[in-house]
Amino acid sequence: MFPRPDTTFTALALLTLALPAAAAAPDFAEQIQPILERNCVRCHNADKIKGGLRMDTHELILEGGETADAIVPGDIAKSELLVRIHLRPIDEGVMPDEGRALKPEEVALLDAWVESGADWPKGVTLTERKPEPIKRVALPKKSPSSPTEAAAMLDDILRRENAGARIITTDLISDAAFLRRSTIDLIGRIPTMAEVREFERWGDGRRRKLVDKLIAHPRFADRWTIFMADMLRIRSNVEGGNQLLAYIHGSIERGKPYDEVVRELISASGRSNSNPAVGFILGDNTEPMELAAATSQVFLGVRIGCAMCHDHPFDDWEQRDFYDLAAFFGKTKQVQNRQRGMTYTTEGDKMTVLWPPEDKAEPDDRKAIGPKFPFQLTEFDTPPDYLRRLEKLRENKDKEDSVGEEAADLDALLDAVEPNVGRPSDPVLAEAKKESRQLNVHGDIYKSSEMRTQLAALITDPRNGYFARAFVNRVWAELIGHGFVEPLDNFSDYNELHHASTLDFLSQEFIASGFDLRTLVRLITLSDAYRRAPLGAEVKIALREESEKNFAAAPTRRMLGEVLYDSIITAGHLKDFKWPAGANKKDISREIQVPTGEFTMVDVGDAPPAMMKAAMRGDGYDLESSITLDFNALANAEERNELESMRQKSDEQIEAEKMAAMQKETQRKVMKYEMKTITETIDDNPRFSSAMRMATPAPPAHFLRVFGQPARTGLGEFRDEASSLRQQLMMLNGRMTQEASRVGTLEPLHRILEKDPDKAIDWAYQEILTRLPTTEEKSDARLIIASGTEGMADLRWALLNSNEFRFLP
Amino acid sequence: MNACSDYQFTRRRMLKMFSASLLGMPVSQLLSKTLEGQGHAEHVILFWNSGGMSHLDTWDPKPGRKTQGEFNPIKTSVPDMEISEIFPQLAKQMHHAALIRSIAGTNGDHGRAQYELQTGFNQSPNIIHPGLGSLVVHEREPLGDLPALVSISGQAARAGYLGQQCEAYFVGRPGQKDPYLAFPEGISHARGMQRLQILEKMNRRSSDKNGGSELKASETALKDAVALMESPALKAFDLKEESTQTIERYGDNEFGRGALLARRLVEKGVRFVQVNRGGFDNHGNIFEAMRNHGGVMDPAIASLISDLKANGKLSKTLVVVLSEFGRTPRINDGGGRDHWARCFSCMMAGGGIKGGSIVGASDEDGMAPAERPVKVSDLHASLCHALGISLSKELYTPQGRPMRLIRKEAEPIRELFI
Repeated sequence: MFPRPDTTFTALALLTLALPAAAAAPDFAEQIQPILERNCVRCHNADKIKGGLRMDTHELILEGGETADAIVPGDIAKSELLVRIHLRPIDEGVMPDEGRALKPEEVALLDAWVESGADWPKGVTLTERKPEPIKRVALPKKSPSSPTEAAAMLDDILRRENAGARIITTDLISDAAFLRRSTIDLIGRIPTMAEVREFERWGDGRRRKLVDKLIAHPRFADRWTIFMADMLRIRSNVEGGNQLLAYIHGSIERGKPYDEVVRELISASGRSNSNPAVGFILGDNTEPMELAAATSQVFLGVRIGCAMCHDHPFDDWEQRDFYDLAAFFGKTKQVQNRQRGMTYTTEGDKMTVLWPPEDKAEPDDRKAIGPKFPFQLTEFDTPPDYLRRLEKLRENKDKEDSVGEEAADLDALLDAVEPNVGRPSDPVLAEAKKESRQLNVHGDIYKSSEMRTQLAALITDPRNGYFARAFVNRVWAELIGHGFVEPLDNFSDYNELHHASTLDFLSQEFIASGFDLRTLVRLITLSDAYRRAPLGAEVKIALREESEKNFAAAPTRRMLGEVLYDSIITAGHLKDFKWPAGANKKDISREIQVPTGEFTMVDVGDAPPAMMKAAMRGDGYDLESSITLDFNALANAEERNELESMRQKSDEQIEAEKMAAMQKETQRKVMKYEMKTITETIDDNPRFSSAMRMATPAPPAHFLRVFGQPARTGLGEFRDEASSLRQQLMMLNGRMTQEASRVGTLEPLHRILEKDPDKAIDWAYQEILTRLPTTEEKSDARLIIASGTEGMADLRWALLNSNEFRFLP
Repeated sequence: MNACSDYQFTRRRMLKMFSASLLGMPVSQLLSKTLEGQGHAEHVILFWNSGGMSHLDTWDPKPGRKTQGEFNPIKTSVPDMEISEIFPQLAKQMHHAALIRSIAGTNGDHGRAQYELQTGFNQSPNIIHPGLGSLVVHEREPLGDLPALVSISGQAARAGYLGQQCEAYFVGRPGQKDPYLAFPEGISHARGMQRLQILEKMNRRSSDKNGGSELKASETALKDAVALMESPALKAFDLKEESTQTIERYGDNEFGRGALLARRLVEKGVRFVQVNRGGFDNHGNIFEAMRNHGGVMDPAIASLISDLKANGKLSKTLVVVLSEFGRTPRINDGGGRDHWARCFSCMMAGGGIKGGSIVGASDEDGMAPAERPVKVSDLHASLCHALGISLSKELYTPQGRPMRLIRKEAEPIRELFI
């Protein structure tokens, strides 16, 4: 239990305010019935008696729920229903629990109704009503002619959508803060001193110039790969995970349209080495049910997966809809060839998705079903402007690359294997080729999926209203702090969608741009909405939340773990050596394992993964280490690698290896070790590489994980943004912060500090916080750095540990 | 320090968890009737034996059957209770312990079974369920400065939807110093404290400007971190305080040190300690392996139980020895046993457990429960019951999905308790 004084206070305050407001009794049929039918009856009716409460008849609502009276006519404070609807949307126990929050005027009406005796005309039974259609404002008639104009249109729509709302719209942040915010968001680290200086030199239009520069920066792909990896749940340790990561990175780097990427992900077949996009299918073990759930939730923002086991509890999806969708994956199989050590997908002849579900019918009564897309595409009499723009763009693009990419055809791949790598007539290679071709003839290997190709086309169809919106909602939330819909992957008639027109506009521009991530990011970052300042400490929490939710004030955002990691490296000059060789020689003692000559039993299968093992050894600081993956090598691994290895190994060899592996599995005898302490002299001149290209996710206790990197095992898992003790310990006492703080003799600051301590203070603040110190801060800093480099290290340590460093301006 | 429910954001995306009551009205009770656990235990020490520990060669010997294997049963301090000869010291402590010999598992795959045994739920694509330790520290208030959940020699199950706050504090090797608990090398205590003063002033300034609750939460976490660094209780992690005799009594190896550390941590108020050990997936040469395991586990766990008894902590500390499944009664050609989930055993001691009791029985070969089958989730219900945690409580995941802490059909094994 934890105290929430605000909650209780607000609720009580609202209650007391509401009490004297007992005006004329509202009209039940006109005013009360619609509210109850739209918001309450859905879960409190004869079929679904949540909390033991039914609200469809007068008698039953008076009977109340399991533990309290829902309404006590004339007594608001004793009516649990009213207590609950007065809570804030984020509070525990707020009603409605699902769907949108009640509007203040609706709450006031219900108050007045109960206060006046809760009149209910005899015999009236309530039935559920669909939610009201979402309010929209008009979108601009003409299409924007420049990114700046598009951003202005966006702000105008947002302003119109916010008209009349009781919120505070904050000022725009300074250009210096913009430099920091956008650099962090777009390329995943704080700006360097050189970048700060360059930005200072630029005059008018420097924000536009900066955004263009950041979008073209090589790190843009690194940073947004993290975003995509979270969304797609990319895990290095599952089959095809690293290849998929490299594929996504390459796609962003080359600006491959998002719809094209998704089509490839959904329809890919074969092996990760030849077709890295197949990692998405392999990631869910090629399970039709899981793939259907993932595909709809990830790409369309629809949680139809909840209908896997039952009709969706909070939505209109039925179990059959889900099965229809799953059937698109119903012939895809995952094949593991242990002997060859490879896994691939292929298409079987039999549909594995059967209806009715397993628990609802005898096995014989379950029949294979055909795929059916449960989402409707919007039909237009005349295509709207944004679709025409897309068409035009695609026509031009087709002309440009008239030679399209060739599909990965097995024969072509096999023929491409250079004959002169080994002996041209290598019998093993020939055999391998023959074997593979035969498999292909039997339709067993690398068969592409027609059904999944169809599904991919339907999902990414520009007339599919969900597709662009789901992605835009995610990108917007990544840059602004929260989405039009929360959770980000739950678009539903029963989940609140606000600022629908702003979302529509962004989605249409995204479609018109040919689903271009960079265009979308540019549009958002050039808007005023992106440049809002946070609210001050004096603003009451309810007003703050309302303002933030309406995109009128910036919510407090912490850097992603990866970004924080890279920002410490940037601020502390840890990317390259900052000390001359030999400057940090020291003796260190560490424990090592020395074999004793005796044997003991261990379980190889239970051994922790290699990275975890590393983390448990050495000085204990390995939880901050990063090992760089070579994306190029991963993305360009050729089919020939496998064939080469086939050529190099005879079947007997492969069999022998297999046996050896099995031996290893059962024979648990290994050499016994004892721990010995050794002392050695090392030159401690640390260098850290970027966290952006690490195997991902990092091991559980790693810095990145502690700072919110998700495990990416479950759908709908988002980054944990909470602060924790462990985070603070890693920052306070970690090696990275410590080394970043120390003033290396090769750093510019070292020289400046000797000559001009005041200038050095400015430098340190700008380098770490992207701003100059205030007068007060400067006088504090003078005292701190009085002791020279040690003092400067203290100042930098504190700056790096400060909230201002890790939270965005 | 509150390990779990502190520093939570107010943003809806972050959480909407039920646990507090509002206006004195128990809102969560409107959703489900609450059944409070009855027990008064304060701590749990969970020995997690990864790989699937043989039930037949440990708690459920089958003398005279073909499935017996190499070990003979031995008498224990409880009449009519026999256990495997690999546990001679534990045999003398069984009057504090209960054996459950009829667990009917359903997962024979390591990953899935470990998930179920450690969380009480089956894996599902849409959600990550919290491990037992995370659940306990979410439900019970912290008792001291130390982290409420500590996992030794390996990772406990994740905190899942309970979030980072309920993750285990990880000790790689028991007795090894955690570098993150002290100022970095070369930074004296005085200088470190000075640095903290500078930092606190900086943070105060930004909190004045930006009113986000996230900044406040971060400051609270910082205070807790410093409190932990300064806490005298930290000494509990240092095994150098123990005599050589004590270390040797537990066994001078990683597991022995782990058990000893578990005892020290519980004495300093840690709620839940999980000591991890692998090596039980004995598809071949199982008897050699189990003899070896016995030699390591027996002195450690027996010493722990007797020390807890001696210092009066045993009645408040539930000691559990658990694995993801048992092993096949049939001995395979490689002299090993394979995965067997249909029937296996668990040992529990202390924490209000009725010592010397045996729950359920397996059939003559240990193939299937013969009496009183126990569901895997019943074990979790029993653990919650022992700690006085509500069995029917529902929480909301950050995605707004209602989740029970314990499976609906789970029932505590009431005959386990005094």
